[in-house]
Amino acid sequence: MSDSDNEYIEDHSSGDDHNLNVGGSGRAQRQKGSGRNATSKPGTRARWERALRDTNNEPNVVADDSRLAENISRRAEAQKRARIRKDTKPFQRGIIRHMVLVLDVSEMMLEKDMRPNRYRVMLRYLEEYILEFFEQNPISQITVLMMYDGRCIQLSELSGNPNDHINAIQKLRDGDGKDELPKEPKGSPSLQNALEMSRAMLYHTPKHGTREVLIILGALLTNDPGDIHKTIASCVKDKLRVSIIGIFARMKICTEIVSRTNGGDESGYGVATDDVDLRDLLMASTSPPAMRATEQEDAAANLLVMGFPSRTEEEHPSLCACHGELTRGGYICPRCKTKVCSLPQTCPSCQLTLILSTHLARSYHHLFPLRNWLEVSWDRVREMRTTQCKGCLKKFPGIPTEDDGADKMDGSSESSRYECPSCHHHFCVDCDVFCHQTLYNCPGCQSGPPAQVPASNGETTGDPMALDGAS
Amino acid sequence: MDGVDATVRGSVRTSSAAPPSLLTIILDTNPLSWSHLSSSLPLSAVLKTLLIFVNAHLAINHANQVAVLASHVDNVAWLYPTPDDGDASKQSSQTNGHTEVADEHRVVSNKYRPFLTIEKNISKNLRNLLTSDIPSAEALKSPPLLAGALSIALAYANLQLLKADPMTSDSASTGTGAVGAADLDAHTSALRTARSGHQFVSRILIVSVSQADLSSQYIGLMNSVFAAQRLNIPLDVLRIGERTAFLQQASDATSGVYLTYDPPNSTANGTNGAATASFSSATAGLLQTLMQGYFSDVAARKLLVMPGSAEVDFRAACFCHGKIVDLGGVCSVCLSIFCLPLEFTSCPTCQSPLRVPKSVTTKPVAFARRKKKKRKIGDGGRDSAAGTPVPN
Ligand SMILES: [Zn+2]
Ligand SMILES: [Zn+2]
Ligand SMILES: [Zn+2]
Ligand SMILES: [Zn+2]
Repeated sequence: MSDSDNEYIEDHSSGDDHNLNVGGSGRAQRQKGSGRNATSKPGTRARWERALRDTNNEPNVVADDSRLAENISRRAEAQKRARIRKDTKPFQRGIIRHMVLVLDVSEMMLEKDMRPNRYRVMLRYLEEYILEFFEQNPISQITVLMMYDGRCIQLSELSGNPNDHINAIQKLRDGDGKDELPKEPKGSPSLQNALEMSRAMLYHTPKHGTREVLIILGALLTNDPGDIHKTIASCVKDKLRVSIIGIFARMKICTEIVSRTNGGDESGYGVATDDVDLRDLLMASTSPPAMRATEQEDAAANLLVMGFPSRTEEEHPSLCACHGELTRGGYICPRCKTKVCSLPQTCPSCQLTLILSTHLARSYHHLFPLRNWLEVSWDRVREMRTTQCKGCLKKFPGIPTEDDGADKMDGSSESSRYECPSCHHHFCVDCDVFCHQTLYNCPGCQSGPPAQVPASNGETTGDPMALDGAS
Repeated sequence: MDGVDATVRGSVRTSSAAPPSLLTIILDTNPLSWSHLSSSLPLSAVLKTLLIFVNAHLAINHANQVAVLASHVDNVAWLYPTPDDGDASKQSSQTNGHTEVADEHRVVSNKYRPFLTIEKNISKNLRNLLTSDIPSAEALKSPPLLAGALSIALAYANLQLLKADPMTSDSASTGTGAVGAADLDAHTSALRTARSGHQFVSRILIVSVSQADLSSQYIGLMNSVFAAQRLNIPLDVLRIGERTAFLQQASDATSGVYLTYDPPNSTANGTNGAATASFSSATAGLLQTLMQGYFSDVAARKLLVMPGSAEVDFRAACFCHGKIVDLGGVCSVCLSIFCLPLEFTSCPTCQSPLRVPKSVTTKPVAFARRKKKKRKIGDGGRDSAAGTPVPN
């Protein structure tokens, strides 16, 4: 078996080399697919190559070196910004999620097209997935099921504690045959059984949360006891949203399941072509899904009463209400003063939901998204006379003496400045990306009055640091 | 256990003898708060102490960097590096000022030049800041713009991280850029994993004195805290005066140090062991607190037991009034926090109608009912009921 593996890898790499030598237009067409593959291991080579090829395609850049460098840097800016040019609509997201994670543990998962095999690769990423899921959705719940030998077996109960699920997956990975867990994948999967079981799992969940099913399916068949279309119909009725991650190939029935349970939207059916792809697809599903219009209507919000207990430390150990163990510190329920060890959880004595306020705060950037920043023209720069980034103090390029009519690159700013539409401060591209993807704050809006057009004598008003006319 | 120990040490050593470290200080410069402290701990003394701290930070590693921000009454200002003074090389090369030759500073030849540069810059900028705009009495009572200062500090730290390791940042940013479908959050997680093993370390020290509460900046503050968490930047807080809820949460979430410092003559505290001369006992205590509590960088903190108490105030601010609450209503759609009892029928944040569960509405009634029951019992058998509840 290992021999064939090596052979396969060799083939793959030689194919890659071949691609590298081809170049030109044929390569350009392939770019999307192979670029993605290439990012997996060597990382930089394909991108570097692509950037170079792209600039070569442009006839006017050959003229002089300074223009070439400028063009390349501008392209880099456009690439960086490409990702943030979305998502400013504050659409509603399902922040309290109920998720059934269905794993394929059928013999198709023993295929060695991922190394060491699909099953091991899947288990390896699941742990990371679960941690990331609870990081993004701290007040959500997961249950893990597996499709094994035609049946569907529950691995962990619906719970909001990541350790429950990670332990279950670790047990599965250790595969010592204990606890009726299988040593190895076996048999064929049954999507119908999985969906029916998911439906049962999610039946009692409250309406204000989402009901989601995520199936990781390696097999290209489903071995069902009855009519799966009836099951799909009842899933639709129960408002389940099913997404499926396939491996290497699509199946018609999966497309149908996803499209019918997502109101005709097929984007929930992704197919992983390698292990990095699988990880990306998994991670993409950790961010809370957008609520559909129909859901928004009937999802009248519930007011949930929650407690935000503070952590205390005591001189003498006392019993915690959750485990009955002697502990020194813990969190005190603000309503009944019971001590619990960890958050989030429900107060064992008064049933109040106890969470950290930081758990809630993590999703606020979905509610109050940062507006996209605008590209700044040279005319605007002449007006505002900004010389450095408001955020990181990086120098901006100076105003060109004559209008050289530089070719505009879509998505990047000719002056390398980006202006916040609310506070009119100017930022560099790195701050643009950082603020929209990590910080979700505008450093300008948060720190004082909006920038004003400087007076003609260079005197600064309001904010002395962003505006400096004296340059 | 031995194996674990060895790997930890090994990784620290091989990672390079000294990972460069950026220290960003955010100094609360609200004039009103400092004037309250002027008898025990004047701003000038604190500034002197902070400069010693900064110099120590620069002295321990030649590649270390410093940035100082003032969160003032109605704006945030850079104290160091000085923004935009026409010298193009200045802000791009702060690595201890080796490249930066300031001719006018040559006169003082006894001082290590980077120390001198920083000292001059900070005092000049702070003087400009305090003298240039005189804020209104209303504005003086407003909270310092801490969320903004933190945002700027993080943006600056982010740039320094990018500079220190362009390869990581490049693969982190353009790598996910190639995968068009990758989500924003997936990107940030990639960013975080890329950064966790980072060589360049950074930390932010907030020196806070104002009493005004920060709940109006709750969301901005929390966003900054999570960004700091992702960049692996601890937020250290030195609080002079009473505790504040959110700063403590911030330092707890980013595993930073939170300490309160009481100037000795307001409350005689045991923290000032190194009292030297007359007035300087407060300053010496402050310096000791700074050096003992905040001096170690992220790399060193892995090997140390950091000070601070495990007690953390985790209360939240309600969106409706900015009140600090420990028990609140949460909108199930947008997770906005409201104080109870609720004053509206639909969520002000997301406009969805709020269905208030019975347990909330009936809670105040519960006592009334019990009373009614008692009365009923009383009606039934007055003599037996009279003795039990009221002992008069
Ligand atoms: Zn309780
Ligand atoms: Zn802004
Ligand atoms: Zn309120
Ligand atoms: Zn709401």
